[in-house]
Amino acid sequence: MVPVSMPSALTFELLGKCSVTKARAATLHLPHGPVPLPIFMPVATQASLKGLTPDQLEDAGCRLCLNNTYHLGLKPGQATLDAIGGAHKFQSWPHNILTDSGGFQMVSLLKLAKVTEEGVKFLSPHDGTPMLLTPEHSISLQNSIGSDIIMQLDDVIATTSPDLARMREAMERSVRWLDRCIKAHKYPERQNLFCIIQGGLDLDLRKECTIEMVARDTPGIAIGGLSGGEAKDAYCTVVDTCTELLPEKKPRYVMGVGYPEDLVVSVALGADMFDCVWPTRTARFGNAITARGVLNIRNAGYSTEFTPIEEGCQCVCCRSQEDGGLGITRAYIYHVASKETAGAHLLTIHNVHYQLNLMKRVREAIIEDRYPAFLKEFFSKLYDDKSKYPGWAVNALKGVGVDLLSD
Amino acid sequence: MTNDASPPNLTQLPPEMLEFALLKTTGALAPRLGRLTLPGRKTILTPGFLGNTSRGAVPHISQDNFRNASINGVYVALEDYIEKHPETTPPVFQIDAPDSLRRFIALPTDTLLVLGARRQPPIPSPVANTNSEIGLLTSYGFRSISSEYYAAAVRKLQPDIVVGLADIPFGQETVGLKRKDKMSDRTEVWTRDIIAKRNGIEKGEPRYSIFAPILPIDQDLQSWYLEHLLDDMVDDISGVAIYDAYLLDDLPEALYHLPRLSLHIPAGPHELLRQISLGMDLFTIPFISNATDAGIALDFKFPAPQKLDSATSSSRQSLGVDMWLASHAESATPLTSGCTCYACTKHHTAYIQHLLSAKEMLGWVLIQLHNHTILDSFFSGVRASIENGTFEQDVAAFEAFYEPSLPEKTGQGPRVRGYQHSGSEHKHMAKKNPKAFRNFEKEGVLQAMHGQQPNAKPEMRDVIDDEALVGLVGLENVEQGEEAEKLKIEDAKS
Repeated sequence: MVPVSMPSALTFELLGKCSVTKARAATLHLPHGPVPLPIFMPVATQASLKGLTPDQLEDAGCRLCLNNTYHLGLKPGQATLDAIGGAHKFQSWPHNILTDSGGFQMVSLLKLAKVTEEGVKFLSPHDGTPMLLTPEHSISLQNSIGSDIIMQLDDVIATTSPDLARMREAMERSVRWLDRCIKAHKYPERQNLFCIIQGGLDLDLRKECTIEMVARDTPGIAIGGLSGGEAKDAYCTVVDTCTELLPEKKPRYVMGVGYPEDLVVSVALGADMFDCVWPTRTARFGNAITARGVLNIRNAGYSTEFTPIEEGCQCVCCRSQEDGGLGITRAYIYHVASKETAGAHLLTIHNVHYQLNLMKRVREAIIEDRYPAFLKEFFSKLYDDKSKYPGWAVNALKGVGVDLLSD
Repeated sequence: MTNDASPPNLTQLPPEMLEFALLKTTGALAPRLGRLTLPGRKTILTPGFLGNTSRGAVPHISQDNFRNASINGVYVALEDYIEKHPETTPPVFQIDAPDSLRRFIALPTDTLLVLGARRQPPIPSPVANTNSEIGLLTSYGFRSISSEYYAAAVRKLQPDIVVGLADIPFGQETVGLKRKDKMSDRTEVWTRDIIAKRNGIEKGEPRYSIFAPILPIDQDLQSWYLEHLLDDMVDDISGVAIYDAYLLDDLPEALYHLPRLSLHIPAGPHELLRQISLGMDLFTIPFISNATDAGIALDFKFPAPQKLDSATSSSRQSLGVDMWLASHAESATPLTSGCTCYACTKHHTAYIQHLLSAKEMLGWVLIQLHNHTILDSFFSGVRASIENGTFEQDVAAFEAFYEPSLPEKTGQGPRVRGYQHSGSEHKHMAKKNPKAFRNFEKEGVLQAMHGQQPNAKPEMRDVIDDEALVGLVGLENVEQGEEAEKLKIEDAKS
């Protein structure tokens, strides 16, 4: 039943492994250039990262961002993408793009979507006409988009669903759909198809799915269906279980994860790639991500804080003018937050930079084999007292040999 | 710029001296070429324009992108910074560093900074000006400030140029003769005031240059003020700020050497040209951002291109392209062919159309950069035309080539704040977004505030006090309940 090994348009260059945890550092060579792993990928849902120009995104250090197949399929549509010559040209982004399959949006945005063996049926948000997204159609759209990493269409249901039979059906269907995606994929030599492991929070289902997916030998592997409101402990167990069964020489992508503490723990559990809209969305609500937690700069207390968003941050907003930056202060962000779009742009730049820089520091720590110490320092900055450390993180890290509570 | 008047000996001038060199002028009501220089700042060639900021940023242009935009000077309004005056000291005054305003808004050191009291365009304030105070609109509601306060603010904020306070009852259809007399009297007092305060600044401390307002009333009605301006203030001012360009022929000759900042809002490029033809030098141009918000990419050149077929003179070219139109969806061309702006060199029409229809903020960023570049090229063309002595013909050709006004807006713009929209736009908005419910209490308060029966309903004052406790003081005066909207979290979708 296992199809022939498929071509790959990437090379995974493993640079170092943590001697305690399962964390890995690597360089992933993709069609539009190398990217460092572990990596956080900002989400440019509709071919634009929330007000930033591609140059600003590049300046923040990004070399791989996400587009959403579902959104691009509706707008600008496949015909336009074909006419322009793909999403890189469309948004003038010279670096790498990853597209999801559209399955997740079906479920999260369209509550009335109906999943059958054929595909996902839904009503067009434009004119209400019934539409069907099949694995073949999703791949065809992603072929038109031309993204460097494309995702299989999967049958996503909420991890919190109590219906085990439905969970098994979704898992097995996702495997069948992967086979259809592999068959439909026109450009395996320049676009990397990733499979998506499903199975909810049931570890047996996850294991079974992992074995099936790995056998298909896609260039990379994603763990899907998480980050949907499940308990963090359960999330960590699933990631840990899956990475245990994954081949070392392939990138592992956990979908929809973006809180800083989730990132550093997931890396310790052996995951390499992450995406989330949270850092950019929260920026538009006036929230700044810092090593000491998230600050809501719309709070009047910040109106007279004439210090950078985060002291020592090297983003263009926080760096001083003497240092070639803008010297933007918390007080100025307060002044423009939710009043001028430029305020959202500035915080978005900061937040994206924070996430990318966090992963850069994670990578350095892994390469220098001091990741456990890094984790301890990270949590000690984020929480002023050990008693406040989240239990799930303490447990998950204990499971991979790091005791956050010890000195 | 060849016929450069020999500059005065620069070494004798104090370092902060603003200098305006008239490079070419052909008479009283004629276009002129000039050069505005201030040591440390980029030179501004006139006719030219200033970036019109909102809360310290040219709308949609974050400070890092500003460094790519070809804007050499900006106009900033004090009313954007003092929303909680007088309850709390505005944050910007608490900055303990030189160049506090420039630092606060992260303006490049070489960009000219012009400060005025009101935004451009100013939104009429129901708080009437008095002998000592003028009414403002801040994002928290209507306020008023005194001339002393203004002078102190300017000293603290250290702009390069300040536009003196003018007593103008904005939004009032007709202004009575008596009121006009008062306008002139008050403006004179306030102008003297700021000059005295500036001259009182100690040596070594940074000083600012003053542009004196010229009121939008007939010369004879402000003759007293103008006479005094000439008699004992002319040496202390560095320019004039003109509220009605069509009264330029009333301007005393002794003020001709000064740069003229137009605060007369131009509706479009045609009106800009008319003002230029009367000898205006420097502009703030609100229609740039208005076009951007409407999704209109400006598309005009000066001088206008040669007409291809003079036979079909009936079809005039549009001044802008509505980027909302679905017909752009597959167009891989720049917004304007040959345009050197960031948007046109880096992106194409199809992408920008997509961004608008997907309501992605980047659409407005790119159009705004483009629109500023269009105006920058327009002014370069204007200056070359004046230099060549062909301005009059070029204007005639421009009028024949282009439609008289900017295209109508069809798509939705970004969310507009209470402090942002002008009166005329406001009526438009009201129809677009009819209010679901009206606050009975609020309107009650408004009537009381209008002073009909100040003491008749003490319970009304209690309402205001309660609101003051939760920091909502001043909200009762804000039109359309825009402020309640401000409190909402923006853009909850992905």
